[in-house]
Parts: sequence; structure tokens; C-alpha cells
Amino acid sequence: MIIYALCFALFLVGLYGLIVKRDLIKIILSTGIMGYAVNLMIVLFGYRREAIYPILEKGKEAAAMVDPLPQALVLTSIVIELGTTALLVALAVQLHKNFKTFDITKIRRLRG
Amino acid sequence: MSEKQGMSLIVKTVTRAILAIIFLYGFYIILHGHLSPGGGFGGGVVLALGFLSVMLAYGRPTTQKWLNIRALHTVESSGPLLFLAVGLLGLAGGGVFLLNTLDHGRLFDLWSSGFILPLNIIIGIKVGLSLFLAVWALTAWDPEKGADA
Repeated sequence: MIIYALCFALFLVGLYGLIVKRDLIKIILSTGIMGYAVNLMIVLFGYRREAIYPILEKGKEAAAMVDPLPQALVLTSIVIELGTTALLVALAVQLHKNFKTFDITKIRRLRG
Repeated sequence: MSEKQGMSLIVKTVTRAILAIIFLYGFYIILHGHLSPGGGFGGGVVLALGFLSVMLAYGRPTTQKWLNIRALHTVESSGPLLFLAVGLLGLAGGGVFLLNTLDHGRLFDLWSSGFILPLNIIIGIKVGLSLFLAVWALTAWDPEKGADA
């Protein structure tokens, strides 16, 4: 149970950065941390104690394996996170083009 | 090669030395995606990091001379079409989309997965080039001079 609480703590670290920080780059990194916390939690849902990785190999005995389904889901989630991060960075570049700053308190009026 | 662009001579030499190893590792992960951890996405990311290390070490103009960016765009955009073509092969054989029509080979061989190996190669090329080209497009804009590519 404590590992899930630690995942939630990591999620809260990302949420803190998302709400408190003013730099756009730090906000984008915070969204990444939130995503990593969620991914970690989903992988931990499929964890079994004293189980092996879910891959068949030559000469390996069939034994208890961890659940491969959360791992496959997290792989998709990582790809989507990559796409959203690239989109956020592109938007930040466009904002910097118009406002010459990454500080969100100074990005107020429409310009450009 | 201009000495002023990019990073120092040490970084450039090391990049030149390890670039082939990075690409070899990326292709290994792509080709063994059905046997070991990894696959099209992971290997493609390694390939993209190989391109990006050249871009960071040598700078954009030298990289532009080394690589044909327009051709890379064409290859990257044709990735989904190739995937669709492989998927339609299953449909053409009287089955469903992405149905495997190749033989399965022997278990644990490199050729043991039918369509998964060609699809992994297509995905690897697509991911590697699109990740590289995304960063390439993001770094195109210079705060002082404006867009240069």
C-alpha cells in the first residue's frame, strides 16, 4: 500500500509544480512528472511478488509472471505523453516568439 | 566543416566514434522487438537520439549538409502508408486486416513472428525520423534572427 502512496506523492510533486511555478518550461516538466507518477502506479498494479518478467525465452521454465497488460498500456501512455510534451513545447516556442518571455505572469495581452 | 558551429572538437570526435554504435544498438532493438524487450518505439527513439547527438555536436548547418531533410520527411510520411500496405496484405489474402500471411518459422528465431518484424521496422523508422524531425522543427526558430528553416 505504501508504494501507491509514494506514487501519489510523486503525482503531487508534479501538481505542485504545475500550480506554483511561473516558468513555462518548469510547467511542462511538471506535467511530465505527473504522467510518470501515473505510469508508475499502473505498472505497480500488475506487480506480483517473486514473479519474473513476462517474456518467453529459450530454456526458461514457465513460472509466475508479472501482469504484462499494464506494461503494454503504459507503453502506449508513454508514446502519447511524448506527443503531448512535443505539442506543449511547440506552443511554448510560439509564446516565446510573441512575448519574448516564458514567465506566465507576463504573458497577458494578445500580441503578435 | 566550420569550427565555430556546434560544440568542441572532443565532443565532435566522440560523436563520430559512437554514432555507428548508437545506430547499431537501435537497429538491434528494432529487429529483436518480438524476442526481447524493446521494439519499434524503443529502437526508433535510440535512432532519433543518434541523429540528435549529431545535431547537437555539429550544429544545424553541418547536419543539414549531411542529411537530406526533405528526403527524411518523405520517408517519415510514407511510414503509415507502408503500415497500411502490410495490413491490407492480410485483407487481400481473404482474411481480416493485419492477418498474418507469412510463415511463422521456428520459435525464438529472428524470423519467427510473421508480420511483427516488418511492422516493427516500419514503426522504428517512423518513430525515429518523426522524433528527430520534431526536435529539428522546434529548434528551427532562433530568438534573435527568426526562423531559418
